[in-house]
Amino acid sequence: MGSRRAFIAGAAGAAALLPIHGTSTAAAAAAPADGTAAAPGAFGYTYLGPQEATFVEALVNVMCPADALTPNGTDCGLAIYIDRQLAGDFGKGGRLYQHGPWHPGKPQHGYQLPLKPAEFFSAGIVAARAVAQARFGKSFEQLAPADADAFLADIAAGKATESRVSLADWFSQLVYPLFQQACFADPVYGGNRDKVFWKLVGYPGLPAFHAQNMVQFRGKPFPGAQTPKSIVDFS
Amino acid sequence: MNRKLKSRQVVFVGGGLMAALAARQLVKDGVDVLVLERGRDHDAGPEHRLPSQRDELRWGVRNQLAQDWSIETYTLRHARTETALPVRTLEAFLPGDGVGGAGNHWNGQCFRWAEYDPQLRTRLVDRYGAAKLPREMPIQDWGVTYHELEPYHETFEKLFGVAGKAGNLRGQIQEGGNPFEAPRREEYPQPPIEITEAGVIVTEGARKLGYKPFPMAASNSPHVYVNPDGMRLGACQYCGHCERFICESNAKGSPEVLLYPVLKRSKNFEIRPYSHVLRLDYDRAAKRVTGVRYLDLETGDEIEQPADVVVLSAFTFTNTKLLLLGRIGEPYDAATRRGVVGRNFCHQTNSSINVFYKDRWINPFMASGSSQTIVDEFNGDNFDHSGLGFVGGAYIFNNTTNGRPISTRPLPPGTPQWGTKWKQASADWYTHAFSLGTIGSCYPHVENYLSLDPTYRDAYGVPLLRITFDWRDNETKMSEYVTKKAVELATATGATIVGPAVPRKAPYDARVYQTTHVVGGTPMGADPHTSVVSPHLQHWDVENLFVVGGSVYGHNAGYNPTGLMAAIGLRLGDDLSRYAKRPQRL
Repeated sequence: MGSRRAFIAGAAGAAALLPIHGTSTAAAAAAPADGTAAAPGAFGYTYLGPQEATFVEALVNVMCPADALTPNGTDCGLAIYIDRQLAGDFGKGGRLYQHGPWHPGKPQHGYQLPLKPAEFFSAGIVAARAVAQARFGKSFEQLAPADADAFLADIAAGKATESRVSLADWFSQLVYPLFQQACFADPVYGGNRDKVFWKLVGYPGLPAFHAQNMVQFRGKPFPGAQTPKSIVDFS
Repeated sequence: MNRKLKSRQVVFVGGGLMAALAARQLVKDGVDVLVLERGRDHDAGPEHRLPSQRDELRWGVRNQLAQDWSIETYTLRHARTETALPVRTLEAFLPGDGVGGAGNHWNGQCFRWAEYDPQLRTRLVDRYGAAKLPREMPIQDWGVTYHELEPYHETFEKLFGVAGKAGNLRGQIQEGGNPFEAPRREEYPQPPIEITEAGVIVTEGARKLGYKPFPMAASNSPHVYVNPDGMRLGACQYCGHCERFICESNAKGSPEVLLYPVLKRSKNFEIRPYSHVLRLDYDRAAKRVTGVRYLDLETGDEIEQPADVVVLSAFTFTNTKLLLLGRIGEPYDAATRRGVVGRNFCHQTNSSINVFYKDRWINPFMASGSSQTIVDEFNGDNFDHSGLGFVGGAYIFNNTTNGRPISTRPLPPGTPQWGTKWKQASADWYTHAFSLGTIGSCYPHVENYLSLDPTYRDAYGVPLLRITFDWRDNETKMSEYVTKKAVELATATGATIVGPAVPRKAPYDARVYQTTHVVGGTPMGADPHTSVVSPHLQHWDVENLFVVGGSVYGHNAGYNPTGLMAAIGLRLGDDLSRYAKRPQRL
């Protein structure tokens, strides 16, 4: 894990090594005894540029700090998940109706921007970095974890309105859904590395043949929840 | 390139459940049938096989079995004074795509509606007087009775191996079933599916309050089942991948499992996937449709397909859209309240409350699409509405169909959206919580309707359909009332935490999944001034044109629509068979 982290940090620039980054001892403590936490998984970014990747790693490390429950977001694969989604059909707006004319609409109309989701994601990074710079005198990636957390809370609550880009929409329409998916989608997509979030909540994953379990474990803890299986395990 | 094919006897537009059921009756009687379906054949695809079927992101979040919005979406406005905008990615409801339609990704929840529902106007006026129904609510009778449909309900339930407990056998109320059920001649073909722990909890609470909880009737087969056509359902695995998914165990009653394979063996049946119907050919002088035009997506050719009879059997919106595009029938005009095509568009009025139980193991991931326990005391006109200021109601139930963790992970109020506390709450409550839901009626309103959008077009250059819809007073009052009853039930179950009760409120939100039960636009009825098709689903102006599906509903009840729709679809098959032998006004 150390060399991979160093590789990403190096590619992203020295700033990546500052506060929000780095694997804490708590994360190491959370690693399963069987040593599978170091399973390599995919790394390297296919959509995000180095500065964007640094930002996203910092972001997911705030939203998923290393603690007694999981490693930090980057080590859980969350940044990789987001990168892959932005690079693929979702980022291109593959199933999004993309014809004008364009109007802002009401919130209940949902996404109404001419930008493809990946473009909006990148534009939001630029805006969030600029607002952080103006507010704190340093980049988002360099903020102390508590400051970064409070800044994200402002964005989520619609209290960061300095930029032309709506950071509240950026967060609610892209960042937050992608974050939740990164944690809980099948690890085949690059997040939820080593099924860490499935183990955390007790979701058994595949193959989910529960006809007998349904009766035997109704109202009782299900042992299979401790050892979830993913698409990767059946591929 | 344009090509004209040889004429066919009956051509269906839309290869979902309705076409399959009607065609089943027709093909038996030797009638020639062609079904045109815009999407692909799902059999043997990744959506139907392990491990790719168990992929929440692909099917459950990205909705890849549903209509592709990049090709065709709908525009939405809350009032006709507003300009509608396209919903660029729609979550509120999920029309299907491909052979089987939405009948692939449904949950299998299989209701007969209340006995009074097809005569709702008569029922409410008789009970409360005409003054109870505001002029803005064009509740109308459907021109058909439950008793005419009952044999078709019975046939459908046998075909789809429906599992349940009768509550009313020939007028005798049965212990353990729904006491408000319309009278049945026979028990369900299969016993109920297994109850979940959440269902046990709801049962305990409901009995304390004196209600009569019962298992939802399920088209999720509890056992291997062979239907009267010799087709086989596998046993449900309670895998938690039902709604939004195709069943890899073939345990969910679906047209692709039970109906199309039989039809495809017949010489007088053909289904053409990847055939996107663009418009109907309408001879205005003769008042006949002469066929349909479709785009063959596999060649890019525009095809002229002549037909003796055309049946619109597509999803709610497409049926309405093709009539409006063909200028067949008078479009509904909300300003004058005249015209019919597009009227009585209704969604369904639902709400939910998250409930948490420190010491109970819910195991949400063990569930079928219908493993739910129902309280029907506050649905429809099952209770006295005198003095209540609204009509209609909802059933209350444990909405436990899955534990897919991206989407189904209730968290107690006050939990932060991320961080260590968020993770801890996810870990603490994932398997100790569920959503208590209400599924409620939505009655028509003169300002809720469908029309063609003047600005936006689909990928083939055809105007999008425009939805003018909002939640009106009747529905929000109903939702507030029933949601309070759900809170009382939640409290009676002894929940550790009862989450915030959120009754349905305006404005209508396209970003939030509600149900796929969108109905109306081409209502059936006995009066041509308020309906598009007759009680036999024959177009009032065009004798050789029929319409079937959710679009023919005059209102939406607090019941899932598929059971009733299936009965209507089978009955249409018999009517079409008669019509094919002797074309006339039925």
